[in-house]
Amino acid sequence: MRRTARGIAVLASAALALSVAACGGEDKAPEGQPAVDPASLTAELTWWDTSDPQNEGPAFKELIAKFNQTYPNVKINYQSVPFGEAQNKFKTAAQAKTGAPDILRAEVAWVPEFASLGYLYALDGSELLADAADFLETPLASNTYDGKTYGVPQVTDSLALMYNKELLSKAGIGEAPKTWAELKTAAQTVKEKTDAEGVYLNPAGYFLLPFMYGEGGDLVDTGSQKIVVNSEQNAAGLKIAKDLIDSGAAAKPSANDSYGTMMTLFKEQKVAMIINGPWEVNNVSSAPDFGGLENLGIAPVPAGSARAGGPVGGHNYVIWSGMPQEKVDAAVAFVKFMSSAESQAFLSDKLGLLPTRTSAYQVDSVKNNAVVAAFQAVNEAAVGRPWIPEAGQFFGPLDQMATEVMVQNRDPKASLDAVAKKYKAEVVPGYGL
Amino acid sequence: MSTVTADPAPSSTRPGRSARPPRLRRSWDKHWYAWAMVLPVVIVLAVLIFYPLFRGIWLSFTNLTEANQVAEICTRSITGGEVCADNPNKWEFIGLDNYVRVLTGQVGEFWQWTGVTLIWTFVCVACHFGLGLGLASMLNRPMRARGLYRVLLVLPWAVPAFVSAFAWKFIFNERFGLANALLTAVGIDPVSWFADRWTALFTAIVTNVWLGVPFMMVALLGGMQTIPSELYEAAEIDGASAWQRFRNITLPGLRPVSMTVVLLGTIWTFNMFPIIFLVTEGQPAGQSEILVTGAYRAAFEGIRNYSLASTYGVLILSILLVFSLFYRRVLRKQGEVW
Amino acid sequence: MSRSTATPPTADAVAGPALADSRRVTRAGRSRRSPAMSVLLHGTLILASLIAIGPIAWVLLSSLKPGYAIQSSELTLFRDTTLSNYSYVLTETNFPRWFLNSVIVAAFTMAIGIFLSATTGYAVSRFNFPGRRPLMMVFLVTQMFPVAILIVPIYTILARLGLINTMPALIIAYLTIAVPFCAWMLKGYFDSIPTSLDEAAALDGCGPFATFWRVVLPLARPAVAVTAFYTFLTAWGEVAYASAFIQTDNKFTLAYGLQQFVPQFNPQWEYLTAAAVLVTIPAGLVFFFAQKHLVSGLTAGGTKG
Repeated sequence: MRRTARGIAVLASAALALSVAACGGEDKAPEGQPAVDPASLTAELTWWDTSDPQNEGPAFKELIAKFNQTYPNVKINYQSVPFGEAQNKFKTAAQAKTGAPDILRAEVAWVPEFASLGYLYALDGSELLADAADFLETPLASNTYDGKTYGVPQVTDSLALMYNKELLSKAGIGEAPKTWAELKTAAQTVKEKTDAEGVYLNPAGYFLLPFMYGEGGDLVDTGSQKIVVNSEQNAAGLKIAKDLIDSGAAAKPSANDSYGTMMTLFKEQKVAMIINGPWEVNNVSSAPDFGGLENLGIAPVPAGSARAGGPVGGHNYVIWSGMPQEKVDAAVAFVKFMSSAESQAFLSDKLGLLPTRTSAYQVDSVKNNAVVAAFQAVNEAAVGRPWIPEAGQFFGPLDQMATEVMVQNRDPKASLDAVAKKYKAEVVPGYGL
Repeated sequence: MSTVTADPAPSSTRPGRSARPPRLRRSWDKHWYAWAMVLPVVIVLAVLIFYPLFRGIWLSFTNLTEANQVAEICTRSITGGEVCADNPNKWEFIGLDNYVRVLTGQVGEFWQWTGVTLIWTFVCVACHFGLGLGLASMLNRPMRARGLYRVLLVLPWAVPAFVSAFAWKFIFNERFGLANALLTAVGIDPVSWFADRWTALFTAIVTNVWLGVPFMMVALLGGMQTIPSELYEAAEIDGASAWQRFRNITLPGLRPVSMTVVLLGTIWTFNMFPIIFLVTEGQPAGQSEILVTGAYRAAFEGIRNYSLASTYGVLILSILLVFSLFYRRVLRKQGEVW
Repeated sequence: MSRSTATPPTADAVAGPALADSRRVTRAGRSRRSPAMSVLLHGTLILASLIAIGPIAWVLLSSLKPGYAIQSSELTLFRDTTLSNYSYVLTETNFPRWFLNSVIVAAFTMAIGIFLSATTGYAVSRFNFPGRRPLMMVFLVTQMFPVAILIVPIYTILARLGLINTMPALIIAYLTIAVPFCAWMLKGYFDSIPTSLDEAAALDGCGPFATFWRVVLPLARPAVAVTAFYTFLTAWGEVAYASAFIQTDNKFTLAYGLQQFVPQFNPQWEYLTAAAVLVTIPAGLVFFFAQKHLVSGLTAGGTKG
């Protein structure tokens, strides 16, 4: 019974596709003008926002209000869902075909995974991708799976070196370190000349990627389908990180709650440098003991022997494939509005988020935003991650490795070999070692 | 295993009407109200627990994951239209492969996790019961401020467990925590709690004991009310010491209750997910992981592996089932039956 | 009526004259305690109470601080004390709504749970019906399969029943946790209530339901109090099922709502702790009233009946 129903659906949609193809192109609306009267669009859409409800949520709600000025009859049910649980919650609901949101703010690594499971609408051919060239290449790449595009980038980010300007200048350091070797010297100088520690490294897989990328390493090679996580480059990168701790340049990290510890120390000026992303800028600059945005320096992560680069992160807008077809126009209108250059500039202005459109960087308020400017250099150096459905599973073993190497003093190569074995057994069995 | 469903009385009396119906009828007449009393519970459990459970047992013999569970994957296009392609690696029956992979350590750390789980369960339940019994017998005496003590001691139970877990995590924070501050104050070096598996496990056990004692205490306190005071009175007249009274009256009188709470406490602690997940996060490097948290991370991170999760579920179920049967046998030897 | 063989010997001993005045005995016990014993007893209990409220005190103190002062390299009891966290939680969030939802879910879970487990426990304790022993084992088995693995299939079932994002979904899910335990617990207590009382009631013309309702249940007050409190707290503090089955802010329960304050990055400890204090108070009050029933045990009930 399900099969016939599906057959009819396929037939119907094929007919639709035909009719679209027949009259495609010509009757497209002129630039900038919606094809239909915005007020005639009537729908109720649920949006799960995974952004920080405290700092970021209000700005998104403001945007929704703006959207409703143009589209008064599209009601957006805004629901904030904690980032940590959204992935499983969405999948559970989408699988049961009940209760998933029409639109989701998905982390970059989720999109290929959701797409491979058939949980998302492919957006090719819609207005959303009409000006795809305007999107920055790397963030847009995270939305493609199997030749189709399943989302549009909302925000991009990458890891940067964040430093306390006052502490560095107290230690007589003029500018941010550019290589890991310089970072080590700088950290040791800070430790000698001030009460603060030099640098705090979060012993987690994601936060160690700059060390591995710096030596030219990566996790897997999707082109040749090879697991390369246990390469000599990665081992060399981890040795650099480990040496920072062993030499005392970096503070001894805790195995647990190290992220929180890192942030508390940095905000209280107890450590001069950390590696973290733009999402913490507000938090740091508003901490009462830090000294505001003026005291916060942002620079690209230091380089290793091969290059300097952090992993690309960020979030995308995706549309649940279980959303009824009749809501498509409204959903497209909403996502289009939210990802427009003006909206991105608005968010950038309010929250310091990094736009994903080239045109958004031309807007004056974005151009003059110091944080955005600082992170633009960071993002240009960012390294794309392997955008495959299994990508979400890479970090469990990597985190374990990070603790072993950074806290328990285990040999990097041995630990990486164990990670490679796990990738082969549990994550990408089809890949070569 | 079927209970109420095993009662064929009403429908099967009709066709035969030969030799058997009278017995069935008598059984029905005699027991219908007992069955009626348990029926609602059985229905709810059958639908919500037993269906997933039996499905889980079946899944553990397949390689079903989130990615291969459907025969064809359909991609809906926003412009209308749906393309369906056969799933190239659809799930299939793979026999005992999952069990082999888990038990030989190809996937996960089954034996290490089991070891930690057994230690964790034993220490937690022993502390729960010991401390709970001690506090309950103190609180069972008439004294000043008894109600106040009771409320204070039960408070840890009233705070949502995940909030307490965060509180304890803060206390054991290696740099900012109260535990290390106290140690430093008395001249002991601060401890890197989560750098070593035993100290990490210790923090989780402390948290869980703190959380679980109030429940045990309240349950045993309730149990003590069923012990008639005449027994104590008579024992006192006979000159029995406090310890003798405790040993010979309180403990035996508590048996039905303590048997239940120890049995269920063991099962719950064995499967206690949030404490390890939140307090130690498995640190260092997965070494303080117990079976449920390890299985969760192995199967539910990224693309969810339902068959692997079910395999762990069945293994956990088997361990606990063996334990329960063993426990029942021991009790039966001592005259208790259930 | 066949009587359960599981009845412990102590209960047999009381079967007859269960009506002695317990007060005389207990008062005698108190007067006989030596001062040294009193000090030891109170000392132990005070120490235990301090350990019990220690982390809660941390929660309380944190709730009075601004966010930046909660995790800090300086340990302080008070810093920049403020009540603004409470006013934020009470006015800026949906907290009052969550509170109402939790009360509804917990109350229904408690009422239905007690009723179902009491009838079941009684049936198992008193009647030797076919399927009695397997039933108890089945209850145990339901507790053995990890919840984390059950969530996805239960979601699918509830979705088919159209119950996603509704409170009945939570009540049903919580009953599967609470009822097996409570049935076991109550069965244990019922076992220790002498069957002679049932028989007397039967002679007075009570049917099995009336005997249960009018004679046995009142006698089991302490047990009912314990299980009531247990079911209440199960529903009050549970997060895993709530986070899977509930999707909109206006349906959140308290415990799940609280989790909204602590996302992975930038957790708002100040609001979490303030809300936790507000959540703990009613639970403490419920216990305060429930614990009165813990004292009036078998004998007191027997006197009344």
